[in-house]
Amino acid sequence: MPDSRLGFFGLLSDTGVVVLMVLSVLLSFSIISWAIIAFKFGYLRKSLRESKVFLDYFFEVCNVDKVFTESENFRYGSLPRVFRSGYIEYRAIADKGDIRQARARIARAVKREVNAENKRLSTLVPFLATVGNTAPFIGLFGTVWGIMNSFHTIGLTQSASLAAVAPGISEALIATAAGLAAAIPAVIAYNSFTQKISVIERDLEEFSPEFVAAFINEP
Amino acid sequence: MKKGQKLPHGEKNFSLWLVWAAAMHAMVFLLAVSLQLWDADRHSRPKIVTVTLVSLSGSGEPSREDSGPQGAAAAVVAPSQAVQTPPVSKKSVKEPVPVPVNKQSVKAPVPVPEKASVIPKKISVEPLTPKAIEKKPDINQALLRLKQNVDKKTAQLPPPSTTNLNTALARLQQKVKSEGEGTGTGTGRGQGSSSAERNGGGRGSGGGGTVDSYKSQIVSIIEQNWSFSKQLLKNSYGMKVYVRINILADGTIRQILYDRRAPSEYLNNSVKKALEKSSPLPALPKEEGSRDIWIGFVFTPEGIE
Repeated sequence: MPDSRLGFFGLLSDTGVVVLMVLSVLLSFSIISWAIIAFKFGYLRKSLRESKVFLDYFFEVCNVDKVFTESENFRYGSLPRVFRSGYIEYRAIADKGDIRQARARIARAVKREVNAENKRLSTLVPFLATVGNTAPFIGLFGTVWGIMNSFHTIGLTQSASLAAVAPGISEALIATAAGLAAAIPAVIAYNSFTQKISVIERDLEEFSPEFVAAFINEP
Repeated sequence: MKKGQKLPHGEKNFSLWLVWAAAMHAMVFLLAVSLQLWDADRHSRPKIVTVTLVSLSGSGEPSREDSGPQGAAAAVVAPSQAVQTPPVSKKSVKEPVPVPVNKQSVKAPVPVPEKASVIPKKISVEPLTPKAIEKKPDINQALLRLKQNVDKKTAQLPPPSTTNLNTALARLQQKVKSEGEGTGTGTGRGQGSSSAERNGGGRGSGGGGTVDSYKSQIVSIIEQNWSFSKQLLKNSYGMKVYVRINILADGTIRQILYDRRAPSEYLNNSVKKALEKSSPLPALPKEEGSRDIWIGFVFTPEGIE
């Protein structure tokens, strides 16, 4: 491989064990982060889109049975899922004459599903925050360790020239670069997902009473 | 409620996304490798041409055929040999033949055993002011003349015998002894009891004190200009730099001569920088007249001895 030692992989081959361990940790962080990013991006996008379409349909059609039938097509949307849980509870109530009790039971079922949906939406997202916060420090640890080794080597060679100092520092700085490479996408994705999740949660809080009222007022 | 029923299809397949992310990272790495290779091919370096400078024309030194692989080291030592042989004259000392010294000889200086009585070999001569090498067009003729003179003198001498050799040796020893005790201008250790002083030729007793005070003065100056950190040395074993400087009457350091280098280039360079920074030194004492003097120092990590 011509000139391979001059590039990034040449530097990697000269790094110490601790720096390599740090790099492997950061690589695993990066892989998991990107998996979460890809998974959550698709999931939240579908949820937002399906919730929007479902709400349009819900306000358009007044029959809850039809809405329930239509909601079966929305597998990822949070609002259809909450509506389904309320509908199942509504159908399970035998004595529909006691409106207060029926309302309380439906509201409880809807509330439970909203909580479950909130948890589902925010699953794995805190890991992105963890990576965003800790990856630069892990990389910095690798750099500090590499520079320590570099200075030790300089002491052994008894030469403080730039040719003796620069390669070690260059190798050590790879860890910081890897930490930043893992952290930056994670932070960006975390902020984006948090904003989308807050939008969905607001919708859930806002439209849950509407669903309960729709079941109670069902003719 | 079972977990499998509650989790949607996308969440169950998170492991697939993990595999996808790992594959993407592998692809990025492969792309980086291929880019690096492509860049290396694009900026392919020209082939290195090694040029060995064998000799310089008109240098005044006859080429040595028997130098072999140790030619560089032998050439470095050559000036000291030239100093000790009187017929070759001062010019060969002041104008050393520029010899290409390869990296190995620079990085690993030849250690000289530490002996007080033996003058250590000169490793390199580094004049402060770059002097132009004066080419002598008739140097071969001068050499021929010198050879002829030597041949004439040897022809005039009687055939050597063991008694003559012994007497000559005794005479030489006596001469060396008298000269060593008598001159003493450089170090100031001259004693009044020497034979040369009785003859009126020695100046040691008078000049020694002033030179010592002058030396202590310049030692303090050099120490002030010497920036050196002991912490940067891993061990201080053998860390001594024997250096001699040639000081002109006005205090200018004309030459810095390493008698022995330390294993650490950092120490060697710091000594050189300190001496260069200290130039010009205070003018020589009046007792020394207008002549220049050589003063030797021993630099250690602890200070100047």
